[in-house]
Amino acid sequence: MNELIKHAKELLEKGEVAAVIGYRQVSEKRTKPVIITEPEETRALVFNEYCLNNLAVYLTKARIKLLGRKNNKSFKLAITAKPCDVHSIVALIQENQIDRDKIHIISFNCHGVVKDFGFDFNGDNLSSKCITCETHKPLYYDKLLGEVKETPQARDSALERIKEIERMPHNERFEFFRSEFDKCIKCYACRAVCPLCYCQRCITDKTIPCWIETSSHQRGNFAWNVIRAFHLSGRCTGCGECDRVCPADIPLSLINRKMTIEANNLFSFVSGRSLETPTLVGSFNEKDNDELFM
Amino acid sequence: MDEKIISRVDLMKICKDVIDKGNTLLTPGAADYYVVKDISDIILDTSALPSKISHKSYVFPRTEPVLYYKRSKNDVQLIDINIDSKKIVILGAKPCDANSINIMKHLFNWDHSDEFFNKRANNFMVIGLMCSHFDEYCFCTSVRSSPVSEKGSDLFLIPVDINNYALKIITEKGKEFISPYSGYLKPGDEKNSKLITENVRQPEAAFDSSEVYEWLGENFESPKWEGVGNLCLSCAQCAFVCSVCHCFDITDEDYSYTEGRRMKNWDGCQFGNFTLHASGHNPRDIQSKRYRQRVNHKFRYYVDRFGEILCTGCGRCSRGCPVSIDIKEIVSNCNDNQKEFLK
Amino acid sequence: MPHTAEIKEIIDESPDTRTFRLRFRDAETNDRFKFKAGQFAEYSAFGDGESTFCIASSPTQRNFIECSFKVYGKVTQSLRRLNKGDTIGIRGPYGNWFPLEDFKEKNLLFIAGGIGIAPVRCVFNNVLDLRDEFKNITIIYGARSVSDLIYKQEIKEWKVRKDIKTVITVDPGGETAIWDGEVGFVPAVLEKIAPESENTVVILCGPPVMIKFTLPVLTGLGFKDEEIYTTLENRMKCGLGKCGRCNIGNVYVCKDGPVFTYAEIKKLPREF
Repeated sequence: MNELIKHAKELLEKGEVAAVIGYRQVSEKRTKPVIITEPEETRALVFNEYCLNNLAVYLTKARIKLLGRKNNKSFKLAITAKPCDVHSIVALIQENQIDRDKIHIISFNCHGVVKDFGFDFNGDNLSSKCITCETHKPLYYDKLLGEVKETPQARDSALERIKEIERMPHNERFEFFRSEFDKCIKCYACRAVCPLCYCQRCITDKTIPCWIETSSHQRGNFAWNVIRAFHLSGRCTGCGECDRVCPADIPLSLINRKMTIEANNLFSFVSGRSLETPTLVGSFNEKDNDELFM
Repeated sequence: MDEKIISRVDLMKICKDVIDKGNTLLTPGAADYYVVKDISDIILDTSALPSKISHKSYVFPRTEPVLYYKRSKNDVQLIDINIDSKKIVILGAKPCDANSINIMKHLFNWDHSDEFFNKRANNFMVIGLMCSHFDEYCFCTSVRSSPVSEKGSDLFLIPVDINNYALKIITEKGKEFISPYSGYLKPGDEKNSKLITENVRQPEAAFDSSEVYEWLGENFESPKWEGVGNLCLSCAQCAFVCSVCHCFDITDEDYSYTEGRRMKNWDGCQFGNFTLHASGHNPRDIQSKRYRQRVNHKFRYYVDRFGEILCTGCGRCSRGCPVSIDIKEIVSNCNDNQKEFLK
Repeated sequence: MPHTAEIKEIIDESPDTRTFRLRFRDAETNDRFKFKAGQFAEYSAFGDGESTFCIASSPTQRNFIECSFKVYGKVTQSLRRLNKGDTIGIRGPYGNWFPLEDFKEKNLLFIAGGIGIAPVRCVFNNVLDLRDEFKNITIIYGARSVSDLIYKQEIKEWKVRKDIKTVITVDPGGETAIWDGEVGFVPAVLEKIAPESENTVVILCGPPVMIKFTLPVLTGLGFKDEEIYTTLENRMKCGLGKCGRCNIGNVYVCKDGPVFTYAEIKKLPREF
């Protein structure tokens, strides 16, 4: 921990970065994001199993990007990121939303996080993304901290659930999604926490023409959730934030994970894993699988 | 005030009768208040966390039609809405939630009366239940309420032992509701229930709402808003799970070439386009202004207008906030310039 | 529940501004619908929603009401697609009004910019109908360009009248070869003609940026804050003080406004 604080403090003191986006502890089993611009404030920084937020979401916000303007310092931002959050950063770099050289990535050897605040860290309460995680060491970083620890073993119940839904007959599957989407209250928290939902103007905010009904009845809810799933397919890095924050407990990560599996099966592509391969939707190859065209 | 004793078994009999008569019985679950189909589902747990989403949608639905229209060649025919006004009994409402309809009533009835709200609100029968839960986000005691507050309840339950409840009859409406079931009631012992309520663990008051009121009046331009504005991601989770947030949007939607309806939908003040003018001008153009509006509306504007704080202290908004912004922390630190993290 | 009204006439004021002359479908509503200068209404294009504009015709005009709108968003685009004889919805009148009773025996200075001429025109025509009750009347109206000026026919009539002073201006670059009015932004023109501030009430409407720069000029010319009336426009949905978006501080623009004096505005938080 001291290493993290020391490093962040140094960055700010030397003026290398305008701000450090990190976590601070608010209670024993909860942290929250904090945006630090003063070197002394870095003492609040922590990193542990309760650092759930994917802070990459802040990197595309104009007000954060421009923090450097005020004090005439560097426009560079430092971010503390779990290895899985680095995937989101990679995806954002690839989609030309941020510059690699404007981001200083402080990452960690990660052994998993809890599924939500307030839980004890063990195999039963492991976040589902951590169960299948293969990147305990970040793929890209400017500073690597933390020691290597064993990840608790857990069962991949999410995948089992996806298989179960796949096996359902059509009408039953529709009924399943209908009942899940019925709960949606259209607070758009899923959109707000998603690092890849960075559109300045979301399609739901467009009124001329109005593509998606803003009412949270069945039609409007289906339109929103299905369109969001499609806009994220081949782009979602699987951070699971939408699922965690949904106040109605809609299992959004099941949908996103299914789309990720499909994209991987069809094009052998998983978003945010490499700075060298072009994005899936941004590239075309004659040999691309065309099975999904009808 | 009248106080009786009722056994859990008899209470369940009343619940069953309510359902059998075709009324809606609501009770809090972990995620939401839900409609009880089978009385064996009823938990009535005083130590439960407030549900993730409040019962607001039953009195102020997240989406509802306000009129239907039918276009013909030149003319438009308007069809009024028949407001569905089924009786709703809400059993085991947390004291914080029980008062929410009363708080919203002011807004929906000043100047113009909103019949959609009123019809539903008048059909509500609130049976409150003492609360013995509190966590780091609860702050009912800071907003003129408490875990044993009877405000807003028509009947109020206090568990006296494992099988029995003290039943306080608070309003005429409650009296009317319970009178057909008087056979189930035994005389109560006010001393005993008072002893219980006095010994309930209560969250310590985190702030003085009148101090917050003053501070907000003087610190509209405080640099503190910028910190929280940087952090907030502009979703409406806080507004939509809140039991007293009442802002809405009105929008038309066609469902055929000639027919459609006008909808009244929940809307949230944290959305960027909430106040966006068609010309592109936006009075609350940045997130810090929108967050300032939220806090001011709750702790100052509503007090100015209606004399009540637009907050029940349930802590839902903070518990569910994607970036853990804690409204209690913010208002309780507002006066403290030493607290650098109003973030 | 809105009333339905028939579009009796459509006047194309400028490339993007239209005026509707409206008559309620229901004769009883026609008789009952009364309003005061400055009040607004919610106009619906069924299928696309409602939009808020002031009533642009004078309350003394009893056979019809008029509204003028600039095509900006979804509803105004939809309204523009309507033809003569089509139906729109009207709810209202809502909000407060200009206290004309208090203006009697005073000089009046009207200042309007862009579509802000619509509410000004309502009061102005109302005042002209009661011309004897007021002293000197001056109107300054500015638009982006000559083609953006609206109510052109009426302006002509105003110009020939000897009992009012009419100053029309367009922004620099917006003039044409034959333009004979002023060229310059409204605050600058106001400063130039420097109207008498003694015993004068100002009625000021226009885009937020114009109001922002005009108010200091008025103060500089010696106008009192309590004598400067303006309208604040905020996005509204219900018009009934419920939906929660038009508020500035604890004031609901739809109920406590849209007409405010500068003195009242100064007490409000800066959020408009």
